[in-house]
Amino acid sequence: MTEYLLEARGVVAGYAAADMILKGVDLAVAPHEVVAIIGPNGAGKSTLLKAIAGILTPSAGTITLAGAPIQGRPAREICASGLAFVPQEANVFPTMSVRENLEMGGFVQPRETRQRIEEIFVRFPILAEKRRQAARTLSGGQRQILAMAMALMVAPKLLLLDEPSAGLSPIAAEKLFDTIRGIHAEGTAIAMVEQNALEALAIAHRGVILVDGRNAREGAAAELATDPDVRRIFLGG
Amino acid sequence: MLSHVIEELPQLIVNGLVVGTILALPAIGFTAIYAVLRFPNFTVASHATMGAYAGFVANVWLGLPIVPSLALAFIVPALSGLACDEYVLKPLRRTSAATGPMAAAIAAVALTIALENVIRFVFGNDLRGYDLPVYRDWRFDLGFAFLRVGPQQVENAIISVVVMAGVFTFLAFTRTGKMMRAVADNPSLAGIKGINAETVARLASLIGMGLVGVGGMLLGLDTSIDPLTGFRAVLTVFAAAVVGGLGSIPGAVVGAMVVGIGEELSLLVLDASYRTAVGFIAIIVVLTFRPRGILGERAY
Repeated sequence: MTEYLLEARGVVAGYAAADMILKGVDLAVAPHEVVAIIGPNGAGKSTLLKAIAGILTPSAGTITLAGAPIQGRPAREICASGLAFVPQEANVFPTMSVRENLEMGGFVQPRETRQRIEEIFVRFPILAEKRRQAARTLSGGQRQILAMAMALMVAPKLLLLDEPSAGLSPIAAEKLFDTIRGIHAEGTAIAMVEQNALEALAIAHRGVILVDGRNAREGAAAELATDPDVRRIFLGG
Repeated sequence: MLSHVIEELPQLIVNGLVVGTILALPAIGFTAIYAVLRFPNFTVASHATMGAYAGFVANVWLGLPIVPSLALAFIVPALSGLACDEYVLKPLRRTSAATGPMAAAIAAVALTIALENVIRFVFGNDLRGYDLPVYRDWRFDLGFAFLRVGPQQVENAIISVVVMAGVFTFLAFTRTGKMMRAVADNPSLAGIKGINAETVARLASLIGMGLVGVGGMLLGLDTSIDPLTGFRAVLTVFAAAVVGGLGSIPGAVVGAMVVGIGEELSLLVLDASYRTAVGFIAIIVVLTFRPRGILGERAY
């Protein structure tokens, strides 16, 4: 039996008691694995990430990270236990400088901050170049890189990415997917919600398809990417 | 008419600068609380008065010099501001995300009247003054006009500038200061990054009302104090914060200067009793042409 890093079982969550978006979703991510979560709009993909990250409290189900239950705990405690979440929007502190954003990214591990920032600057020279600039002055692609770098400040075991390529130009998106590959190559597990399903399945080991708040299909990413039904319904041909 | 304006102008600008510098402190306190808690905490009026009286007790009753008295003018309103938020305003804010902030703002108006009357009950309605050495004003002949500056005014402005420099250093360079800016910037992301928003909210009330208290005492040092000291200043403080950009700390400083100088310059054309109208006019002009204030969203 595989020892999963993240294991969510029967998660029910939503924004109003009468209207639960997730109606019992399962998601498992093994250490060092990349899982792509795909599905139509409104399927509950982003809601699932929010429930795991502690931004939404699930009303039922269990979520464990490295065997320890995390469901219902506040986001800041979940962050300290090795899970970093990068929201789709508003994922930087706009009026703070790039360097300050990175400091806040590593807020729960202040002792490592200085060294990690240096490492980040070596890895992403564009952030080093713009270290004193306010985050709101960055381009969309640069902002996504910063948001991801902020998550890396805590050397997470698991990275949750919500639509990282949304709103980016094809070139910026391509660069971003390269960055995601690089982060995975260093051993970080990633669960990623992505509209660009083909690109996401190309990076991922496994794909999970959600439809209307439930698991619809699951399998090896390469198989899903070539499955005629999946291609027709979710991948646009 | 023109010669009259030229003669008066330098004096009015200097007075405006001094008033603006002092008003900047309560405006910073007000705007910092707004930036973090997202509601206008109108108890700034009574907390400015409370600071003025706390400083009075330290200075006149306990015989302490001005600077240690200012410490008490910070601490007493800071603790009161924290308690008011924790026990009265926070529970109201939490009733609903949509109407909670409005309920808290209205409750803050009621609370400020209550606190003002507690102060009135303890100290009475009389005007009171601090125990200050009497200095002769400095006079400068500019050739076309005479300028008169009181040493106490200058000392007050210097104290205010030093406190502001302290606030900016705190926000720019300390971990706690950056944590406060992060929550003001993006509270949800701050939570994701492990910052405890509750702690930041308490710090904002504590530091914000402390600054309001120091501002209240500095206003009193310039003239005298009574239970309405803070109430008279609150409109100007509110105008300064809105004009500069509600939630922006440098905005509060710029707004205080604009409103402070504007109020003084209004004396050229208006009777002194209309001076407070300047704050309202400034709010209307800014909300019409630049709704986010002069400096907009810059948090610090």
